[in-house]
Amino acid sequence: MFKLQLKKFDKGSKLRIALLVFALIMTLLPFISDYILHFVILIYLYMILSLGLNIVPGFNGLLDLGYVGFYGIGAYTSGLLTYHFGLSYWIIIPLAFINGAIWGILLGAPTLRLTGDYFAIVTFGFSELVVLLLTNEIWLTRGPLGLPGIDLISIDLSLFGGPKWEFVGEIPYYYLSIIMVLATIFVMHRIQDSRLGRAWFAIRDDEVAAVSCGINLLSYKVIAFAISAAFGAVGGSFFARWVTFLSPDMFKFWESFLILCMIVLGGMGNIWGVMIGAFVLVSMSEILREILPVLGLPVEARFLAFGLIMVIMMRYKPAGLLPIQAVAAQMRSGKVKRKKIKVSVGMKE
Amino acid sequence: MKSILEIKSLFKSFGGLDALRDINFKINVGDIIGLIGPNGAGKTTLFNCVAGIEKPTQGEIIFTTNGQTTSIAGKKPETVTALGIARTFQNIRLFDNLTVSDNVKIGRHCRTKSNFLRAVLRSKFQREEEKAIAESANYYLDFVGLKGRGEEIASSMPYGHQRRLEIARALATEPHLLMLDEPAAGMNPMESRNLMDLIKRIRDKGTTILLIEHDMKVVMGVCERVVVINHGEWLAEGEPKMVQNDPKVIEAYLGTGAVDAAQAG
Repeated sequence: MFKLQLKKFDKGSKLRIALLVFALIMTLLPFISDYILHFVILIYLYMILSLGLNIVPGFNGLLDLGYVGFYGIGAYTSGLLTYHFGLSYWIIIPLAFINGAIWGILLGAPTLRLTGDYFAIVTFGFSELVVLLLTNEIWLTRGPLGLPGIDLISIDLSLFGGPKWEFVGEIPYYYLSIIMVLATIFVMHRIQDSRLGRAWFAIRDDEVAAVSCGINLLSYKVIAFAISAAFGAVGGSFFARWVTFLSPDMFKFWESFLILCMIVLGGMGNIWGVMIGAFVLVSMSEILREILPVLGLPVEARFLAFGLIMVIMMRYKPAGLLPIQAVAAQMRSGKVKRKKIKVSVGMKE
Repeated sequence: MKSILEIKSLFKSFGGLDALRDINFKINVGDIIGLIGPNGAGKTTLFNCVAGIEKPTQGEIIFTTNGQTTSIAGKKPETVTALGIARTFQNIRLFDNLTVSDNVKIGRHCRTKSNFLRAVLRSKFQREEEKAIAESANYYLDFVGLKGRGEEIASSMPYGHQRRLEIARALATEPHLLMLDEPAAGMNPMESRNLMDLIKRIRDKGTTILLIEHDMKVVMGVCERVVVINHGEWLAEGEPKMVQNDPKVIEAYLGTGAVDAAQAG
């Protein structure tokens, strides 16, 4: 994966080398401490989530405020299947992926006809709905009591006469999360230069022109939404088996907002930027969690800090730390808004 | 002659405003037809109705290719494109932030079919298709005279090149009928001459062309037949020279007094 990237010696190659070095350091981390390890796994988890969300606002230019709904669905899919049926995590990953995609289609197919802010409101409503459902359907989810005692991930080779190895401590999760991040990057890269990716970029740039090139807007947006949801659900399935406890308030709206902040901060539409955004915000969150009590402030005050960062970013670097051409240009000209009005009114002479 | 597009008593109204009233005309295979009329006559609305971006209020649009006749009035734009009608826009609509070659590759969308799974697995089918897409993108860029500019960002190119790129993108959908909305707008005489040459080359490839144009030199230079509409109504039709001297047409463009002046002068 990284080697492929290094071949092209363009502007971003320095960054990629830096990432490679970073990755090497990361592999050595397990020997430091469990606390740091836990924190790094969290970063990786958010990298998966923000890469997944990136498809919708980054590749398609649609605002999605309900991503955490799919994260929650994935987490509870994983939690419940483990709790009731004791399914292995390796079977749960594809199931969570499919379940996420199904819910993405169910939500996206009727609502992706809406443009811009209206669609964002629907997704916001959806994420609230998921939380309400998880809280109130006590027969299924145990409601606010939460779902404790979810099994750890294990590699069970006893069927083939091999040993059964349970993931105890943070180290195995650490390696698993690295593999999952790499797999996600791999998929995103391949989509990016494919027919599917080009269709999305076309939709992001100009919907009317995209349609006249034969791109079916609705179905491509639904595909994007479903894939994004599927990655959210996979992230959730990992989360459930890692922390082994779920409760509905882990999937509140601010979580969506945080992931959205990550991709805006890093650079919407840019895979590497999005990952940097996840790294920066998760680290900051953890650091502030330590610092704020010392200063005599409540831990929740860290959201103020996030807000401040976003305001500063919007003022000085609106397209993110690693901007891509498309987003930067749209931010410069305010084209996003104008374009949407044109599309909904239709074209006149 | 076989007709490729037949517009039968087409009406389009926006609320109380009748943008098109009872438009009838036919385009034969291999024609280059000019659609002219004063500003606000309804030319672009007519384009939008044919392309599926606007739904006609009433009337029929019949499209015939490969012996198949389809009524396309009210069909979705992507369906119309897939059937073989491509268009360009009056105010250029490129994918501004993508590269020139990506713009043309997106034009290939409706003639290719790799999906998510194939993209992720990079199957043999997908690799071959990608290769074919890249090749035909190069071919069409070459055809319109943009060879070697594939890696530039579309919006960074000069205006005349952007027009050409838009045509290349439309051609990449392999249209039987190409609709050009004011292709020569804003071009200098040299560029318009090149454009006329390009239009003729496209027709020689077997593509029928319908174009809206205000530049009479271009219309006279390439069109074999001209349809004039005014206030959303059919006004005249015929050879360019004939239409140019038609008193009704002169009146539509220049006002009532102009007919006498033109005849006197």
